[in-house]
Amino acid sequence: MDRGSEFQDLVPKYLNSLYNYALVLTRRAEDAEDLLQESLVRAYDGLHTFDRSLSFKPWIFTIMRNVQIDRQRRRRRQPSERPLRDEEEAEPVVSMENPLCSIPLAPEDILVRRETVERVREAIRHLPPVLREIVELRDIEGLSYRDIATIVSRPVGTVMSRLYRGRNLLRTYLVEPAQRPGENRIGVRNDGL
Amino acid sequence: MMDCDTAKSKLFPYVDGELATELRDQVEAHLARCGACRRLVDFEVAFRETYVDRLRPDPAPERVREQVATLLPDLVHGQRAGRTQRWLKRLALGVGAALLVAIGLSAGVALQSHLGTRTTLAELTDAAVEQHQKLVRDLLPPDIKDVSPKAAEEWFRKRLAFNVSLPDLKTEGLRLLGGRISHLREVEVAALEYQVDGNNVSLFIIPEEAYRQLRLKDKPRFKVVSHRGYDVVIWRSQGAGYTLVSEIGDRACLVCHAPHEKLEPLPRPSAHL
Repeated sequence: MDRGSEFQDLVPKYLNSLYNYALVLTRRAEDAEDLLQESLVRAYDGLHTFDRSLSFKPWIFTIMRNVQIDRQRRRRRQPSERPLRDEEEAEPVVSMENPLCSIPLAPEDILVRRETVERVREAIRHLPPVLREIVELRDIEGLSYRDIATIVSRPVGTVMSRLYRGRNLLRTYLVEPAQRPGENRIGVRNDGL
Repeated sequence: MMDCDTAKSKLFPYVDGELATELRDQVEAHLARCGACRRLVDFEVAFRETYVDRLRPDPAPERVREQVATLLPDLVHGQRAGRTQRWLKRLALGVGAALLVAIGLSAGVALQSHLGTRTTLAELTDAAVEQHQKLVRDLLPPDIKDVSPKAAEEWFRKRLAFNVSLPDLKTEGLRLLGGRISHLREVEVAALEYQVDGNNVSLFIIPEEAYRQLRLKDKPRFKVVSHRGYDVVIWRSQGAGYTLVSEIGDRACLVCHAPHEKLEPLPRPSAHL
């Protein structure tokens, strides 16, 4: 299969994921459409650099994120387009062997409440952008820690840390809905089991 | 020997399958002798199965699909005179029709491969009854609940490749409990849970192409089957197939028809599977 046909086959297969990630990065539908198109153009131009032994999705996600960083450099006027890197808080880099000392929140309360999948999806949309990105890449796109680390250009330990924080905050939203941003102050419960 | 705090700190990467072999073995050795931590893992796994595994990316709107379907052939055939977004948008508008055809074709191909071998009426009936039982027993949580039929239609429209049209009746005793995207014999369907006078009724809406694969005769219009004590009614309407499962015979038709409507009588069950 030639590279053009391959690209035409792969993009529709991942279109929902690509659009969704563009929305995560830009937070505005109009900007997401532009980012998606620009990313596809750049990906096609760089298709010869794609290693066929690896997965297409993390490769093109990495391109999309880099395109977004370039776009933000070009135009920094929208509050929603603050540079990705500026939003990333200083985080301790933890190792794979000793990822975290804290204890994850158990999802027992959420299971008992029998929440809908849609409400869980909505709660993910309310996570702070830096945490939402990692939770989406792992829990919705199913990417490995290492793929995510490559996409966001951060160590695996940082990915694990953000994933931990994002998942725990998500569970807090689901157990205590009033704690979502804009509704009240966020308070992360940390009562272990 | 791993202690509880250390094991709990590795819960997420353990369930994610991201721990190195040696560390994973240490966690599993701890779980083998610690009921509390094992319970924590069980809840985490149940949470993933109930919610996380069913999460999907937000679907790309039709407009975006059209734009991309226009862009791709242009990229591949090297007709990029300029790459500004404005140009791309203009081009997208021009060839939108071609895109619609492409989407239709690819959807058809996808559906065909999805269906795989042909599903029979007996298999569809069995799958529908099984899903109904799971819905009634709360073994399958709804994706949406306590929403109006219009809101449910809108929700399904964004997620399914076929038209989902729901009745919007104000009949006393009729209630739409919720809905979810389910699978009948690997075919993606809209599953709706209703109550009619306190009785559970499930309505499954399947793609017309999948309905055609059943190769049912046009008459009688409604196919009625008794299976494992349930009444199953199957028919086609407005570009989709419908399967209604209940234990209340033709009273389940109140899901789609007002009580005063004069309905053609349902045929006697044509099969007892």
